[in-house]
Amino acid sequence: MNRLYRLFVQQKALVAIAVILAVMAFSGTEFFSAYNLLDMLNSSTILIILGLGVTLTVIAGGCDLSIGGILVVSGILSIQLQNYVPLPVALVLAVLSGTLVGFVNGFLVVHQKTEPFIITLGMGLLLTGVAQQLSDAHPVPATNPDFMNISNGYQFGDGMFTDGQFPGIPNLVIIMVVCFVFFAWLMRYTAFGRNLYAIGGDYDVARYSGINVITNKWMTLVISGTMAALGGVLLSSKLNTGSAIYGDFTALVVNCGVVVGGTSFAGGVGGIPQSVLGLLLFGMLDNAMNMLSIPSWYQTMLKGAVIVAILWLDSYTQKRKRETV
Amino acid sequence: MKQVGAVLRDYLVLVMILGLALLTAIVQPKFISPANLVNIMRQFGPLILVSLGMTFVIIGGFIDLSVAGTINLVAVVTISLIGPLGQTGALVTGLVLGSVCGAINAVLILTAGAITQAEALFITFGMSTFYSSIALIYTGGSTYHFWDLKKSPDMFLAIGSGSIGVLSVSFVIFLVALAILWVFHTKTAAGRAISLTGGNKTAARLAGVPVSRSIVLIYTIAGFMAALGAIVLFSRITTAAPVIGAGFETNAILSVVVGGTTLKGGKGSVLRTVMGVLLVILLNNTLDLLGVSSYMQWAARGAILVFAIWLDNRKEVQGNQL
Repeated sequence: MNRLYRLFVQQKALVAIAVILAVMAFSGTEFFSAYNLLDMLNSSTILIILGLGVTLTVIAGGCDLSIGGILVVSGILSIQLQNYVPLPVALVLAVLSGTLVGFVNGFLVVHQKTEPFIITLGMGLLLTGVAQQLSDAHPVPATNPDFMNISNGYQFGDGMFTDGQFPGIPNLVIIMVVCFVFFAWLMRYTAFGRNLYAIGGDYDVARYSGINVITNKWMTLVISGTMAALGGVLLSSKLNTGSAIYGDFTALVVNCGVVVGGTSFAGGVGGIPQSVLGLLLFGMLDNAMNMLSIPSWYQTMLKGAVIVAILWLDSYTQKRKRETV
Repeated sequence: MKQVGAVLRDYLVLVMILGLALLTAIVQPKFISPANLVNIMRQFGPLILVSLGMTFVIIGGFIDLSVAGTINLVAVVTISLIGPLGQTGALVTGLVLGSVCGAINAVLILTAGAITQAEALFITFGMSTFYSSIALIYTGGSTYHFWDLKKSPDMFLAIGSGSIGVLSVSFVIFLVALAILWVFHTKTAAGRAISLTGGNKTAARLAGVPVSRSIVLIYTIAGFMAALGAIVLFSRITTAAPVIGAGFETNAILSVVVGGTTLKGGKGSVLRTVMGVLLVILLNNTLDLLGVSSYMQWAARGAILVFAIWLDNRKEVQGNQL
């Protein structure tokens, strides 16, 4: 019984994915078709890219709720800057906007020791306002086909599901896998990654053992901001528009996805592969609900309920741990 | 010099309110016209009520992002019940519904054993989406209007735009709520227990303070006040859409923090929140009069929220050094 409980708590994401797969197996939909599975993976990529950066902040004992704001600002910037500078420069500048915000977040949260949750929430609010001002609250269309191809293109194939032919791998999936490998390496095999676990586990102990806690924790927010901006650029490219409304729900979903995977807000535990599983779960949930043609408001309600249930479980596990010690 | 600094820090909000008012009055004389002052008094209604409830949550060391969802739900349910239940029935049901929403948050937080602000923040954020989507499902996405009602909603019209003497009814509701909450907080054991809970939960529990009861109380009060705010809000604009409460949670937190109640919990007062709300409303009014776009106003509010929290934190750091 106890082992079952542990499995359930530690592998929340896997259990939930298994439940969804089981339900979908009996649903009589096209859920398991190659087309849908690839589409599901493809549509989860941006969430995963955002989640990679957020995982670092959460492991170091913080969090980043400004990613929704960073995402929309960089998405709009990447399109508007194309009017003034060549495409590659526009993309780099858009991504750097996230780095800058992450730097400011880091200054306020780490250097000035403020609550990361509220500060980044306020920063997200600020950036959403900026995004609305930049776009005049209208969707900003992109005109350059090269820009659109970044997220919509395929490698090793043409993206067509003709019989017996390999459809190719979407660019987004390739970008996601590259980022994933880099972050997994960073967290597992570098001093920086291991320091983050130490900082999240116990901030003071890490400081006394000679880790430069401020710089390391600061870096997590800079990285998270940069990844959020990258996600924003990719999202704009995928939809071929930039808009201030895309980020509304993102911060919550990404932070929850990270927690579902097993990285806890208590800090010091978790990892990159777990976060990918957790975020994949949300992508899968969306896809499954669409497949079952559940109306959108019910989808929001279900997602809200799932999020609360997961966070509840995360807190409850912490409580059990506190009480057994 | 040190003392002057300390006084200035403590009353910074008041100084900022006066400075802002003065500046606006000079730049835009319309600011002190009676019509605008009445307008400011009317705006006081919903936000101050929600903020007063939020004050207790923050003093208790938690946070509540679910008030937006609660407002959405209470507004549409209350207005739709005016027909079947009558006005008093609808009013009571709305207030009970808000309190229940708050109590549900408290039960979730208690059973999960959440002790940090962060955990509460995420759980209530999730609950806000949940309540909002129930409101959307309940209405099917449509907006309810007073003029569609079979019965005359004269009581709600009075709440929204009536006046007693020179004061608007919503202002009187605010004064009554403020008096009750202030007495509750400063003069009753249950009220002081909330402050103790926010100061240090473990110490409070060991000292025999009923921490769990305080948590249920603060969220129920927040839910109740959000419901009251929702009722005043839809009564004023005579319509209720299932998205009516959007942004209230951040504005309420902003008002509370700007007023000087610390996010670290334990310290604060409903009177400070009144100042905070006044500042936020004046700011909105000023930006409106100066012709700043509503998008930039969002950004300004976010910037002030970040700044206020930073300042709040500095105060703590410097206080410890003294």
